[in-house]
Amino acid sequence: MPTHEIGLQVEDLCVSYGGIPAVRGVNLEVKAGEAIGLIGPNGAGKSSTLLGIMGATSRTGTVRVNGLDVSGLPPEKVVRQGVALVPEGRHIFSELSVLNNLKLGLVGRREKTGIPEAFAEVFTLFPILEEFQARKAGLLSGGQQQQLAIGRSLMANPDIILLDEPSLGLSPTAVDTVFEALDVVRKAGKAVLIVEQRAEFTIAFSDKTFVLHDGLITLTLGPSDANNVDVLTKAYFG
Amino acid sequence: MSEILSKGKTSLRWRLGPLWSLVSLLLLVYLVTLANSFMGDSVQVQLQFALVNLIIVIALQMFIGTSGVLSFGHIAFVAVGAWTVGLLTIEPDLKRSLLSDMFPFLFDVQAPWLVAVFIGGIVGGLLALIVSPFLMRLNGLQAGIATFALLGVVTQVLTYWSSIGPRSGQSMVGIPDVLNLQTTMFFALGAIVIAWLFQRTRPARLLRAAREDGIAAAASGINVVSQRIIAFTISGVVAGVAGGLFALTNRVLQASQLGIELTFITLAMLVLGGMLSLSGAVIGALVFSVIDVGLVQLQSGVDIGSLVISIPQGVRPIILGLILVGFLIFRPRGLTGGREIVWPFRSQRTALPGLPPNNE
Amino acid sequence: MNQFIQSLVDAISGGAILGLAALSIGLVFGVIRLANFAQGEIITAAAYTLIFTWQFGWFISIPLSIIVAVALSLLMEFSVFSRMRTATPATLLIASFGLSFLLQRVYELIFSNTVQTAPVGSALAQSIDIGGVRIQMLSVVTIILAGALLYGLTLFLSKSSLGLQLQAAAADFQTARLIGISASRVIGLSFALSGVLAAAVAFVSTVQTGAVGPSFGVPIVILALVGAVIGGIDKLSGALAGGFLVGFATSMLASWLPQDFSNFRDAYVFGLVILVLLFRPSGLLIRGRGVART
Repeated sequence: MPTHEIGLQVEDLCVSYGGIPAVRGVNLEVKAGEAIGLIGPNGAGKSSTLLGIMGATSRTGTVRVNGLDVSGLPPEKVVRQGVALVPEGRHIFSELSVLNNLKLGLVGRREKTGIPEAFAEVFTLFPILEEFQARKAGLLSGGQQQQLAIGRSLMANPDIILLDEPSLGLSPTAVDTVFEALDVVRKAGKAVLIVEQRAEFTIAFSDKTFVLHDGLITLTLGPSDANNVDVLTKAYFG
Repeated sequence: MSEILSKGKTSLRWRLGPLWSLVSLLLLVYLVTLANSFMGDSVQVQLQFALVNLIIVIALQMFIGTSGVLSFGHIAFVAVGAWTVGLLTIEPDLKRSLLSDMFPFLFDVQAPWLVAVFIGGIVGGLLALIVSPFLMRLNGLQAGIATFALLGVVTQVLTYWSSIGPRSGQSMVGIPDVLNLQTTMFFALGAIVIAWLFQRTRPARLLRAAREDGIAAAASGINVVSQRIIAFTISGVVAGVAGGLFALTNRVLQASQLGIELTFITLAMLVLGGMLSLSGAVIGALVFSVIDVGLVQLQSGVDIGSLVISIPQGVRPIILGLILVGFLIFRPRGLTGGREIVWPFRSQRTALPGLPPNNE
Repeated sequence: MNQFIQSLVDAISGGAILGLAALSIGLVFGVIRLANFAQGEIITAAAYTLIFTWQFGWFISIPLSIIVAVALSLLMEFSVFSRMRTATPATLLIASFGLSFLLQRVYELIFSNTVQTAPVGSALAQSIDIGGVRIQMLSVVTIILAGALLYGLTLFLSKSSLGLQLQAAAADFQTARLIGISASRVIGLSFALSGVLAAAVAFVSTVQTGAVGPSFGVPIVILALVGAVIGGIDKLSGALAGGFLVGFATSMLASWLPQDFSNFRDAYVFGLVILVLLFRPSGLLIRGRGVART
């Protein structure tokens, strides 16, 4: 397989819903082994950015996955270029078993090999999934469902993972588990883009954090800004 | 100064716009009728049927267009209206001999045809009123199915209950020939006026608001079900009147004529014109009927110069079906797109407030 | 007592067939929110195929009818429904209504209004003796056939990747696409499976009546649609149960209604439908609030 630069490049992404712009020209880049945060107040356009990258909404601008322009592709094809999205609210298939949820993650996998290893990796990251694999996914707790959602996306062996508010509704312990796993994923060489409402946490975790305000990136922060109250206030209130 | 003048003009336009849409529709129907009265007898008969269908479509629009709820069952009201007029206008002796299984009191009950038509309307409205508290709670697909089931019940009852009509397989014959084209037209004009007036009433406005955003409407304290009941009942009356006119036009009645096929045709007319506006209902019905008449002519062969063009029997309904499906795919909002006729009084309010439901 | 058992078997058989028909509607509805009224015309097409090709042997006729049903089903999706992805369920229903009307007229044109007959499956149109009770062989075969199809379908849905993908798409279409499930493949699959079920329904109905006309499938689809909705068209089990209930009730009423009332059998069924919708608008099998996604 020819080598591309592993990573995500977004240029001038614009998303609007029926004439109302939600994202008004976002530029960002996520490299392999990097975790990038995207924070901002409600309605800033964070989810829309991720959906736009995946091709789930109509958008303009250029999105490059591993060097390839995926701008016109529908979501199911974007996935096969090596991107996975863990949607806001988890959206696991509650009537299906944990195992079947994971199996569905394989649909987007590019290689047909390495499947037992994929399961092993996910179960190592999230032991609870192995324990509950026969259980209906809807019976899991919020934190466990989040683990399942991430595990499902990992089954596709993506190069790039997008996460939409992974800490939403989770207890502090659950959040820790999730972000520990994301750290492992980052160190394994994947490019990680995390959309979050929890500013401090994200800024501390990510290599770089962008602040999204009203559809545009207004600020770039580093981990050292995590405890800086002034910077944070400016980020959220303009 | 000029500001005040232009503001004055705008508000005048604003007031005249809706009135013009009413007048233009009335004119349209009048002119079409006039034009056709110069054509042969067969066309006149078809036109009379077309006008009856127009009234049915108007009744449909009054409910579906305003509330956004699908009703597959309005023909049930048409049917009971038709039945009522049939029973009231056929000579008692004829009834006694042909409809011999009926309740005896039905033999003697009679009424002048005009009165019969209005009674038909009332019966239609009554049926609508009785079922509406139940059906009006439903939305979308369930409403369509439930109203369809209503039609099913009515059709079955009218077909088989020989105590109120002919035996199954037989028709109700002998309805007098008292309705001419012009009178039918006046009924059509009347229906347009009623629908136009209804659009402006409070229930209609509330329903349109609820159609756009049901949750906001409920939160504002609008009792959607009550408003729907009102709209459903009124449209049931209009449909009942149309049924009565159908009976007087066709002069023979059989339950099978008032079922699924008529439902399809009237819905097709409404979709074609645009179900969100009264203009849509009228234009859809007229355009569909004109095309239909044209197709009938083509069926019997049309001379163009030295060529005779004709289409085979059986192609006509296929063409009509294709038109309906085509519009649903490519232009679900219909010819009018849900707008009323406002030219030349172009006002800012070119449509009654309301976007089509959900994703149209 | 014997008569009761006979009518019970017939009713179960009637319920099974209508359950399959309702399931075929529910399969497609689950994925794209289309309650396909034109499913009746797919049944009719399969029935016509059986009638015209039965002379060549059942091993040709039956597979052919399945192929025709699946092909027509996919054609409908390709030519009409795939272009209406943003339409509301109510609009889709009207479109399918129009398509149904259209196809019936096409059948009229091609095959004329007169019924076509052929001794399809005549070997099954006899009674057999089970423990002293005379039972229609067709009823037994129908129940077995329905059971087998259901079993196969359940296996497919729960064990195969495509089956899981279909379940996922029916549960949450947007998310399914976001994890890489191909929308067109899953939709095509649902239409194809629906066609297979339609062929089964057509087979049983054709054996029963031996005659097919342009509107052969219409009464079936009306009851199937109505049944699917009252069972809860959202879930496959709901559609199946609702269809079964309507079929069962219709058959029982046909067996037991006194002469004077038997003509109104359909009216009673429709009345029952309205009643169910009043108390459980989302369907009988939906527990709790469950506002159906219509």
